[in-house]
Amino acid sequence: MQSLINRLVSRRPKPGFRISFNRLDGATSLDLEVLDDLAERAAAYLRAIGIGPSDRIGLLAKNCLEWVVLDLAALKIKAVTAGFEAGKFAITPDLLKDYGLKVLFTDQASDVPNVRPIGTLLEALPPAAATRAKPVRYSADDVTTIKFTSGSTGRPKGLGACVGSIESSLHAVQEMFSHGAGDKLFVFLPLSLLQQRYWIYSALLFGHDVAVSTYEAAFAALRREQPTVVMGVPAFYEMLKKEIDGKARRRAGVWGDRAALREAAKHALGPNVRYLWTGSAPANPTMLRFFEDCGVPIFEGYGMNETCIVTKNHPGAWKPGSVGRVVHGKQVLIGPDGTISVRSDHPVNTRYMYCAPGDSERMFAPDGTVRTGDLGHIDEDGFLFIHGRADDVIVLENGKKIIVRPMEEHMKANPAIQECVIFCVSQSHLIAVASPARRPVDEGAIVRQLSLTNSSFGPDEQIKRVVVADDPFTIENGLLTSQYKPKRQQILEKYRSEINRPHGGYHA
Amino acid sequence: MPNIEQLVRDSFVDVLNEPDLQSGGLNIDRDMADEYGLTSLNKILLITSICDEAQIDLRHFTEHDLADMRTLREVIDAMSRASRARLVS
Repeated sequence: MQSLINRLVSRRPKPGFRISFNRLDGATSLDLEVLDDLAERAAAYLRAIGIGPSDRIGLLAKNCLEWVVLDLAALKIKAVTAGFEAGKFAITPDLLKDYGLKVLFTDQASDVPNVRPIGTLLEALPPAAATRAKPVRYSADDVTTIKFTSGSTGRPKGLGACVGSIESSLHAVQEMFSHGAGDKLFVFLPLSLLQQRYWIYSALLFGHDVAVSTYEAAFAALRREQPTVVMGVPAFYEMLKKEIDGKARRRAGVWGDRAALREAAKHALGPNVRYLWTGSAPANPTMLRFFEDCGVPIFEGYGMNETCIVTKNHPGAWKPGSVGRVVHGKQVLIGPDGTISVRSDHPVNTRYMYCAPGDSERMFAPDGTVRTGDLGHIDEDGFLFIHGRADDVIVLENGKKIIVRPMEEHMKANPAIQECVIFCVSQSHLIAVASPARRPVDEGAIVRQLSLTNSSFGPDEQIKRVVVADDPFTIENGLLTSQYKPKRQQILEKYRSEINRPHGGYHA
Repeated sequence: MPNIEQLVRDSFVDVLNEPDLQSGGLNIDRDMADEYGLTSLNKILLITSICDEAQIDLRHFTEHDLADMRTLREVIDAMSRASRARLVS
């Protein structure tokens, strides 16, 4: 297999392709060859301030040109990047010390030593040299960056991402989607997530346009950029669905008018979309069907930080309800209890770089196989179906195992319910905690939904009560992860007394 | 000049997409997140959608301005100012 990262650091990109950066107050666009020149100059700058191979560079900033330039420059000198998500990490001397950072670039004001403003980077770059520095060489097990997991509990775990795993994923994606001339990939999730940087590497390697946006400018940038591919997550598409649905209804005067939906989708996404990419969290089947009805294919996949992309639906192999077939270089092993483990030809790594004692051993088998903690099965055509988290399996006192995710999804189908998490009290009663979609809480709708859900599931799968949360679960109040997944443990802690109180909440 | 208040109300109902929510019944002085469960992603979509409909350039606003809009009245005021600025320029 050709080493893509070595190609990335040693060859100039194909001419004729562009990258753009969108903010609320405007956009910048430049040729990929110009981007590569800037990265080359930034590599010289990093060397000049004393950064060398294996040194660590921290980045804590909104998506911007300088972020990308520094990431590529670090690759060119074999320095290791650590992308920190704002809000999850504060800039303190300890941040630099704990993660061994020689320098941290940020868009936040800070007087912490060795912290530099990212916004003035381009002004600080030296002029282009007459000849380029000799390219560095990577081997498959070299680490280029530290990924931080958006784990459900505690301090984020740090994981060194190896070159082999990055290349393996880039190859697999290219094989499935053939991104190339005519394509423009839209990226708005934080660049601190390594996978979002893949789309920039892909543009440089395979020759296509890429549009990067801040999170805040995402919806406006979508219309401005008119991409062919949108790299999103379920929460983002749920928002788009609501907007499209609402607009179509207002224009057609009725719900579900197919022509009006297609027109509204085209308006929201631009006219050129050939597919939407979704991952990171389970997608609601209703949302997936909605976009299909709008005439826009949406492809769900499966993977986690520790495995990178494992399976993916794509135009050549797609099955509703599944997360796709296993990509090349990966092997999915289903245990006798249905738990999913993933073996990789090129693992992301075989242990965490930063974690609590025992975390590495729990996640990684000695050969690097990842115990995902998810449950699923592979059908006769090779498509993987995810049933839920092994942690979400509740064993009742009668020995019956209940997978709560389908019940939670069923509850969430009601517009009055934003999120729903089910717990089990003393191995006998299932109690739901529902986060209201709005205030005042529509108690009637929640109770009606509880009855509807109970009537749709088996006798052991009956929710006895639903506790309505005081406020919606949000990232800010610590009850959702940055990828919009409910933090089960924190929700349990917050509502433990209501859950345990025999008459707490609303009864079916 | 478009009726900004009506547009803001309609867009808000569109973004939340609750069948029972009527634009005329919205309380424009209540916190949008507390009262109606508006998330940060909802708010971004709301502002984008209003600007689009009213042909207001989103460049009138910064990320900081977005964070400061907590009630529908604040959205209406900000949009009205931006709309007037557009007409003047």
